[in-house]
Amino acid sequence: MRKFVFVALLLVLSVVAFSRVTITMTAGAVGKELEVLYAQLDRFMKANPDIKVSVMPMPNSSTERHDLYVTYLASGEKEPTVLMLDVIWPAEFAPYLEDLTADKAYFELDKFLPGTVKAATVGGKIVAVPWFTDAGLLYYRKDLLEKYGFKNPPKTWDELVTIAKTITAKEKNVVGFVWQGARYEGLVCDFMEYLISFGGDVLDDAGNVIVNSPASVKALQFMVDLIYKEKVSPQAVTTYMEEEARRKFQNGEAVFMRNWPYAWSLLNDPKDSKVAGKVGVAPLPAGPSGKSAATLGGWMLGINKNATPEEKAAAKKLVKFLTSYDEQLYKAINAGQNPTMMDVYKNAELKKAAPFMVELYGMFINAAPRPRTAKYSEISDVIQKYAHAALTQQMTAQKAIEEMAKELNKVLGK
Amino acid sequence: MKVKTKETVVAWWMVFPAILVISIIAFFPLFKTFYDSFYEFGLRPDIERKFVGFGNYVSLFKDSRFIAALKNTIFFTVVSVALETAFGLLIAIIVNQPFKLRGMVRAAMLIPWAIPTAISSQMWKWMFNDQGGIMTRFLENLGIIEHGVPILGMPQTAMWAIIAVDVWKTTPFMALLILAGLQLIPEELYEAARIDGANLWQRFTKITLPMLRSTIAVALIFRTLDALRVFDVVFIMTRGSVNTETLAVYNRVLLMDRAFTGSWFGYGSALSVVIFLLISIFAIIYIKSLKLKLD
Repeated sequence: MRKFVFVALLLVLSVVAFSRVTITMTAGAVGKELEVLYAQLDRFMKANPDIKVSVMPMPNSSTERHDLYVTYLASGEKEPTVLMLDVIWPAEFAPYLEDLTADKAYFELDKFLPGTVKAATVGGKIVAVPWFTDAGLLYYRKDLLEKYGFKNPPKTWDELVTIAKTITAKEKNVVGFVWQGARYEGLVCDFMEYLISFGGDVLDDAGNVIVNSPASVKALQFMVDLIYKEKVSPQAVTTYMEEEARRKFQNGEAVFMRNWPYAWSLLNDPKDSKVAGKVGVAPLPAGPSGKSAATLGGWMLGINKNATPEEKAAAKKLVKFLTSYDEQLYKAINAGQNPTMMDVYKNAELKKAAPFMVELYGMFINAAPRPRTAKYSEISDVIQKYAHAALTQQMTAQKAIEEMAKELNKVLGK
Repeated sequence: MKVKTKETVVAWWMVFPAILVISIIAFFPLFKTFYDSFYEFGLRPDIERKFVGFGNYVSLFKDSRFIAALKNTIFFTVVSVALETAFGLLIAIIVNQPFKLRGMVRAAMLIPWAIPTAISSQMWKWMFNDQGGIMTRFLENLGIIEHGVPILGMPQTAMWAIIAVDVWKTTPFMALLILAGLQLIPEELYEAARIDGANLWQRFTKITLPMLRSTIAVALIFRTLDALRVFDVVFIMTRGSVNTETLAVYNRVLLMDRAFTGSWFGYGSALSVVIFLLISIFAIIYIKSLKLKLD
């Protein structure tokens, strides 16, 4: 009898299991990202009992995630079904992603920030749905600036250096400015911000390499000077990624930090943060060109072309759910990741939880994209290599920019 | 005569599964890599496959990044293997002496070897961290480095830090192999030498070292081959920045970062073949110079 019940139970269970579609999605774990996603998926699975979503957590470093995707996609596997894609990847991975152009209305893409949709469009085809957007921000210690009589955050890079020097001369165990200087994708983001605010750029609209200019040399020289001449940044920024910089700032050991919006909710968590309530956010300072630039970051959700039709249908439902108004609002408030849907910025709740998102809306929609090409990985590799060589004083800024331009031309076949 | 042929046939059938498995898991990928190295292609479906003969090899030796990686790899290999052999020999001789708790010491010695490299590299990366890393503190207090210097962010120190981690990790392996060799040396040889009046140094150079030759040769081959394709410790600690890029780390860039961006896969395969040949050369040098018999 007991055996019979057991077999029957097994049978029922297996029928239930097989009638459900199981899809997998990749996800990051920067800050509170993963926690928030699990809560969202619980809601999704309750509303859609026929779909089971399993999460494949990914490394925090975007470069390492890229490696995993190359392995999955090149092998023609149908997993992961839903891929979390960095804003710079769609062109490269487009041949492996489901074409979503016909679903434009279903995903309500006309309600999204146009810049993010443009980044998800490759050769006229939409291959992903923008999930959250990012832009480089300047975090500063409100309390320290006030203590030394600075009413406003710095408007220019020179002002930042002056303020940082004044404060660090008197405060113990505090460095001036931390940012991302390790040799990885994040360095390209930081480098682009200096470059553009000094009036340079890497490629022009026609895709020609224009990085070899006096403005670029000055921009890179300024980054080097922050470390060795002005000494406002510790030498160790050449080994920092986002989280290293955040930890330093969160421990109250830095006056300024360049980072993405995700840091906001973590810095203001009184349990773990020594600077909760003492942090301000401003646009990054302007360079001699008078321009201030923030690199466009952010992630999108794409669907694996090799998935079965049932899996694709379930994946579309999931993407739609995660990018809906309510879920974007929830993610913005709880994980501090900026919405891609324009209307969410008008929400009063968001304004209360993350006032800077609403205040800096103009900056987020104007964030500067990194070079857009299918060869982006190669370009990024070259920029990382030479910018890092200058930051670690293996090369002068002048020489690094010259070599960078030479190699970029080679990569692009010019 | 007939019996013998029959036995040979049976023997062949018994060896066949092993040959089959080795062919599938070792020879096929090796052959495929050789084959791919003569083509220019990428993994992106719209990139055409083009035969270029030895073209990839020619451009490889004109690639300054490859040359730098080759130099780094050889430097890493020579220094780390030399240090590991010296320390390994010393430790093996010490733990071969009878003393209290010898068993425990021998077991404890193996801990660094037992920790997966990915984990120990990350652990050391934190110890070398500028914010509260214990190695950084230690070296600062000794006055070897200035305060605030990132050990892994400086070309002068990063490679040495990586070598230190590798030596820490693999010396136990060397010591263990050499210890096994030491235990095979008959005690009578030492007794006879003592009767003949040989001193400690003479006993070491005339008995211990010659008797250990084949053991050390095997250990050296193992370690050198491992060191020539070093990837994990370098990739985790510095990602190949500040002049620490080794051949395998460069190969990752070619085969992963650039898999879909252009025709780099054949070039990467050529680099894999070069690593393979480099390892073969080292192996042959060892086998010849240490007069090792493989069968």
